[in-house]
Amino acid sequence: MNETKIGAPLARTQLGALAALLLCAQMPLWAHIDRWIAVAGTALIVARLVLPFDRKNLPNLRRWLLPGLALAAAIGIKADYGYFIARDPCVAFLYILLGIKFLEARGARDGALLVCLALFLALTQFFYAQTILAALAAMPALLATGVALGVLRTPAGAAEPWRPHLRATARLLLQGVPIAALLFVLFPRLAAPLWGSPLESGARTGLSESMSPGSISDLSLSDEVAFRVEFASPLPPPSQRYWRGPVFSRFDGAIWRPLYKLRGGQYVPSAGRPADYTVTMEPHGKLWLFALEHPTGPPRAPNPDAPVGVPTEVLAAVTYDQQLLARAPVTQAVRYSVRSATVGTFAAVTNDAADNLQLPHGNPRTIEFARDLRDRSASDRAYIAAVLDWFRTESFVYTLSPDILDRDPVDGFLFDTHRGFCEHFAGAFTLLMRAAGIPARVVTGYQGGEMNPTGEYMIVRQSDAHAWAEALLDGKWQRVDPTAAVAPSRIERGIGAALPAGERVPYLARVDMTWLKSLSLHWDSINYHWQRGFVGFNLERQRDFLREIGLKGAPPWRLVAVLAAAAFVWGIAVLGFSRLRPSRIDAEVALWRTACRRLARAGLERRPDEGPLAYADRAAARWPAVAALITSIAERYALLRYGPAAGRRAEIIAQLRASVGALPPSRALRAMP
Amino acid sequence: MATLPLSTTWIARTRQRFWRLAPGDREPVVLRHSRIYILPTRRGFAVIATLVIMLLTSMNYALSLGYAMTFIAAGMVAAALLATFRNLAGIASSPVAAGEAFAGGEVAFTLSLASGNRERTGIVVAPSDGVPEVIDLPRDATRPVVLTVPASRRGRRPLGRVTLWSNFPLGLWRGWAYVHFPLTACIYPAPEPAPPPLPTSPLGIDPQRAARAADAELGGLRDYERGDPHNRIAWKAVARGGGWYTKQFEGGAGGGALDLDWFELPSAIDQELRLSRLTAWVLAAERETRAFALRLPGTELAHGQGAGHRRAALTALASFGQPTTT
Repeated sequence: MNETKIGAPLARTQLGALAALLLCAQMPLWAHIDRWIAVAGTALIVARLVLPFDRKNLPNLRRWLLPGLALAAAIGIKADYGYFIARDPCVAFLYILLGIKFLEARGARDGALLVCLALFLALTQFFYAQTILAALAAMPALLATGVALGVLRTPAGAAEPWRPHLRATARLLLQGVPIAALLFVLFPRLAAPLWGSPLESGARTGLSESMSPGSISDLSLSDEVAFRVEFASPLPPPSQRYWRGPVFSRFDGAIWRPLYKLRGGQYVPSAGRPADYTVTMEPHGKLWLFALEHPTGPPRAPNPDAPVGVPTEVLAAVTYDQQLLARAPVTQAVRYSVRSATVGTFAAVTNDAADNLQLPHGNPRTIEFARDLRDRSASDRAYIAAVLDWFRTESFVYTLSPDILDRDPVDGFLFDTHRGFCEHFAGAFTLLMRAAGIPARVVTGYQGGEMNPTGEYMIVRQSDAHAWAEALLDGKWQRVDPTAAVAPSRIERGIGAALPAGERVPYLARVDMTWLKSLSLHWDSINYHWQRGFVGFNLERQRDFLREIGLKGAPPWRLVAVLAAAAFVWGIAVLGFSRLRPSRIDAEVALWRTACRRLARAGLERRPDEGPLAYADRAAARWPAVAALITSIAERYALLRYGPAAGRRAEIIAQLRASVGALPPSRALRAMP
Repeated sequence: MATLPLSTTWIARTRQRFWRLAPGDREPVVLRHSRIYILPTRRGFAVIATLVIMLLTSMNYALSLGYAMTFIAAGMVAAALLATFRNLAGIASSPVAAGEAFAGGEVAFTLSLASGNRERTGIVVAPSDGVPEVIDLPRDATRPVVLTVPASRRGRRPLGRVTLWSNFPLGLWRGWAYVHFPLTACIYPAPEPAPPPLPTSPLGIDPQRAARAADAELGGLRDYERGDPHNRIAWKAVARGGGWYTKQFEGGAGGGALDLDWFELPSAIDQELRLSRLTAWVLAAERETRAFALRLPGTELAHGQGAGHRRAALTALASFGQPTTT
């Protein structure tokens, strides 16, 4: 009844406001969806504004073209993604659908539907990024939502300028901030998703579940942050900063893979100078939780109040090859505290020797070389030293762009090209060990990390991705990093220092601290706090917060009561106290009303069209005993209201108050003759 | 106007407070929280549903920023609720006038709206039947609002309950308040479309007598119409070549006094037609500036002329047979 008629076509301003909203909602997704979808969805909106779609002779175009477009978009997306009923294709389809719907939008009702769709679409960008920039990118959409609703409110929206609506919306958004903040803090967070698994991280950068030549060097080109670490204990030296990730024991001659089955393991005993630290990890869609070699206990949920060491919740389990695995894929930023013994060794378990001696066919020169060298060495340890020495003395080049080798890649690398990245060295070394009868495996993870001078935390980037080897000696696993033999500066100073001049190095990994890098580190510090404080506000953080304000474990009704009370206070504050009080009425009106009410209850009601003096005459006739009093009340009221009472108001009001006070109560009046 | 019997039982009072079905508003009504209702509009429900979906999505995918965005939008919707309330609260409305009309036409009622200490946007004043009026008010302003409602039957026609509503600022909430003033218009009988000519008075038309009437004064000239008596043509003007005019007289009976008598009408015609015919005759007599007397069962108006007399006659015809109210 109060909506604009469906038939009324959208006016120009309304179309403009809608287009602005749709573009604001689409814009943040440009970086996250395929280019053709981004272009098509936006082009449709522009098309509506430019083409004469409001002509009456185009209804058939509307009827056939638009379902056709929607179908084409669906087919295109299906072809592009390979599936349709999933999050990402649906976002893409919604993105295009906005354009299609806008193309045919006619009335205010279509407009309202578009507002709802656009509001939802603006949310979907957070599937892909929850950075400060993403948050800022959502603001225009929120503002545009208010403007569009305001302009759509009336059919006369045509003539209305949009600018006052923008101001009004900004005011509404600001007024709503306290409610938003309260809901954000108090609204219960879930421990598990409501439906399905939100594991669709798609193209996240990070380590992979296998290692082939190139898999780590590709990663080394990325400046993206893998995780950040705050140390509670003194910083371990760079040579001990090995962040252990996936471990590979199976080799088919080209690709390293993990064992089929990962059994549970034991944490290493605390030894040496343990490191205590808290990791804030970016989501990578896999199970790994990175920790310094080797953790002495399970990772715990960090609690700023409790000293490290108080057992809280176990986030993950350790495998027998010392990988820390989360219980569910890491699809949102997680934070955990770990204590590690910074030792390079740990005890082997029963099957380790058997699992890590397998030799694939191929690479005959490597195997022959290994057996030969082992025969010439006094012991396994001497053999390892000899191999590392060989790496050091031969002219091996540590490079991001090694030659591509098809057959017997280890042979080719060791004896022909001599050019490789850490995965080549680690893989070749492991194979050399196995050929000599020493159980060995490849470990991948990150090595190094850079202290942020502003944030007092360490950043570990994808460019710190690394691979090293592990050999089983005397019943203990021993870390051996062949890269350190070839390019010691890689371990000490990072990839930027280790690569030869002229190689493409991600600029944040470079050693020289340019102003750009410094700026970027400051920005990272801001982003880190953003991630910790805001994006990482999850179930645990909420529990901590509620404990702090004394609502921890409170029954839900108490939370609801707090919310309701806060909403009430908020409402009063926004409205201003005066709104809830009776509107200010003049004193004489209040007194006159009192008198009238008393007379009315006594049986003589004032007629709506009756002036005060006429009413007083009637009342005086009814109650001759108080006739003079009634007349004086009416006269004074009339004087104050309509007469020249200037300057004497206070005095006359006082007299009026006295007269009204002298008027007998209604019961006494009724009893009068 | 009668004192309306306002029931005093608790239920009746509550019902009146909620629905204002009886015309019980006396003073200028200032809209306050006790009178203002607010519910989401259809669009409001749609937006709230969208917010719920956004919330579920944020929960499932654990999107902190999704929560934040959803709640900020929810805050805006909540603030819009308060803005809708604030837009209505403090408006003072009072009854101003009731118009007059013939049955079958439309009658205008006038209310006045005072904005008080803030600007008001998109206030819709809707009578229970008839065309709603939309009004914007600047600060500290009072504006009349004329409501046109159908006047179908003769007699007293109350304005009825008026709804003041607004969905300002975002169209997501509809705030409304009822005001019900005892404002009543008088609807005259519809004049008979083609009435018989005016009855001849018992004295007969006596132009000489009328022209010679001592208290008749020349009031002015009007365009000559076929059939005007010769002795009232302004011959001087004709002689000067100024055109044909007819002299009009005031104070006296233009064409002789009339007696419009209910009982003189043929007994075959029914009551409403009688009233319609008499109405048509009253109008015709006024047009011809002739004095008339009106006689109805129970009511009698002496000879007279002029706007006041005409209104008295029409009012008598309108309220014929209806419970008298003063």
